[in-house]
Amino acid sequence: MLTKKQKTFNWVLAVFLLLLSIFFLFPVIWMLANSFKPDAAITADMNSVAAFIPPALNGNYFENYITILTDTNFLRYMLNTLGYAALLIVLGVIVNGLAGYALAKINFPFRDQWLLIIMMLLIVPTETVITIHFLIIAKAGLLNTVIGYVLPMIVNPFNIFLFRQVFVSLPDDVYEAAQLDFCSPVKYFFTMVLPMSKTVVATVSVFTFLGVWNDYLWPSLVFTSSDLLTAQIGLNSITSNDNTTMGQTLAVITLITIPVIIIYALFSKQIVEGVTSTGSKEG
Amino acid sequence: MSFIEFKHIGKKYAGADKNSVSDFNLEINEKEFIAFVGPSGCGKSTTLRMVAGFEEITEGDLYIDGKKVNETAPRDRGIAMVFQNYALYPHMTVEKNIGYGLKNMKMPADQIKKKVDWAIDILGLQEFRYRKPKNLSGGQRQRVALGRAIVKNQKVFLMDEPLSNLDAKLRVSMRTEISRLHREMGATTIYVTHDQVEAMTMADRIVIMKEGVIQQVGKPMELYDHPVNKFVAGFIGSPQMNFFDVTVKGKEVTFKDGNKLTLPEAIINKLNGREGEMTLGIRGEDLKMDAQNLELYKENKMRAVITDTEVMGNENNLYFQFGGCQAVARVSKYEISQVGDEIEFVFMPSKIHFFDKETEVNYL
Repeated sequence: MLTKKQKTFNWVLAVFLLLLSIFFLFPVIWMLANSFKPDAAITADMNSVAAFIPPALNGNYFENYITILTDTNFLRYMLNTLGYAALLIVLGVIVNGLAGYALAKINFPFRDQWLLIIMMLLIVPTETVITIHFLIIAKAGLLNTVIGYVLPMIVNPFNIFLFRQVFVSLPDDVYEAAQLDFCSPVKYFFTMVLPMSKTVVATVSVFTFLGVWNDYLWPSLVFTSSDLLTAQIGLNSITSNDNTTMGQTLAVITLITIPVIIIYALFSKQIVEGVTSTGSKEG
Repeated sequence: MSFIEFKHIGKKYAGADKNSVSDFNLEINEKEFIAFVGPSGCGKSTTLRMVAGFEEITEGDLYIDGKKVNETAPRDRGIAMVFQNYALYPHMTVEKNIGYGLKNMKMPADQIKKKVDWAIDILGLQEFRYRKPKNLSGGQRQRVALGRAIVKNQKVFLMDEPLSNLDAKLRVSMRTEISRLHREMGATTIYVTHDQVEAMTMADRIVIMKEGVIQQVGKPMELYDHPVNKFVAGFIGSPQMNFFDVTVKGKEVTFKDGNKLTLPEAIINKLNGREGEMTLGIRGEDLKMDAQNLELYKENKMRAVITDTEVMGNENNLYFQFGGCQAVARVSKYEISQVGDEIEFVFMPSKIHFFDKETEVNYL
């Protein structure tokens, strides 16, 4: 039972946090409000509260968005990225999941040492190995291909570790029961282990999606063809174009933010669980 | 011909100093219900898991239906198993849990449905058919686990403490249910339990184990009436058999507190000249307090003061200090005594056991 003092403190804290969150939301609100305005209106409103207020309906409400979606390839880039994310989610869950399962449940020589090595890989920044990835992919003749882009991104030590942490607590007798039910080890993984570990599958999927969606460096190295570009690179090329207006820039930034917001809204539970279950956070 | 045969089976875990199971020899007949009983860590579950194929057999040979199965995969041994923690598939409904094995056996869908319907019917799971395990009680989950085992028509049933997670009342009803299923199915069953009541009430034969070694194999009443050693005598029966440190000299038994008992000729003959310090064992119900027995064995009448009582409903357990230790007598509910009452009792001579002080072997 909370005392009156504690209740008052909780209220004060809630109000303070609310104000703080509004403060952090200001740039987002500003971006959203101005993405619907022509450049002249943005400049006019710049030094007033109106900068945070969307324009009244005047018929040209979505002009910036329509321009971005019709005059540029941005929609294509978004769809490309969604496709890569879907592919990497499927492959990532299978490959990292199987590795995590082996580290959790199968006894093989030097298993713990393997786990240690994989955990050590967590501290290696992606940027340090990207040159090697690039050279290998270039040598294999896979530059500017989807395979070349996807291949180095499938294996993820963080996801292997995440899967391993969850699989280690799965009861062994379910596997034994499944064996007596004529279930093969591979079938067991796909029909039992993954459905029993929906939370970690969701967490890994969300992290993979966010990773692919926000990645700039690797796709900018692999892709040269405009047909294969990702949304982040598309964003850069659109915003760095001299003909792009401020309103259009804000519209394209808003568009690229929408999927991330949707994912966070739908899977915030999984993201929090994923972070807390490992005691770490992917950068 | 025996259906399951254990020949010098042993199990030693890597890095362990000694065997978890040693020189286990046993023949189980077809359709027999056999219970492995013993305290925690006695090797009963390990032995069962070796039969299932989940533990490697490190010594000896195991035969099922005439075939050596040491190296055979669990799925090819023709066994079904019920696990202590049910081991249900949490994301599947009752119906799917039961039918999963049949589906993997590539049985036609209509036959799967027929078999699942049959199992659901005889286990009374109709209203839970579409529920997932998390929405079932312990007893219902155990019935699903049983259903999953029985639909596959396997030759051997293995049950690893299947009732240990259930409450006392449910355990009794599930005991009856498992016995009924065994009668109807006729599968050879190995049942592991640490509860001697389950073993006594359900099994055709009981195997008592201690520290990985078989102590005695026999029918329930054989073990109860003729335990081969003090461990079996103490393990089977509730309340536990009374044990007294005594000195035997000729016909006379002297208890630590100075009480004396004269043995009949028949027991002296069975002792075959053995004398000296030994352990006398007698079950609570063989300490008699009724007038008829007090008169019959009046030369050996003993006295003690009740220190505690347990009213069981159908009978009473009376605790008292005697022979230097606490003893218990099981008397009918009509023989009412209070704490502090002095009682007279006699030992039923034919029910007395004598155990070696060192080896604990039963002399009689």
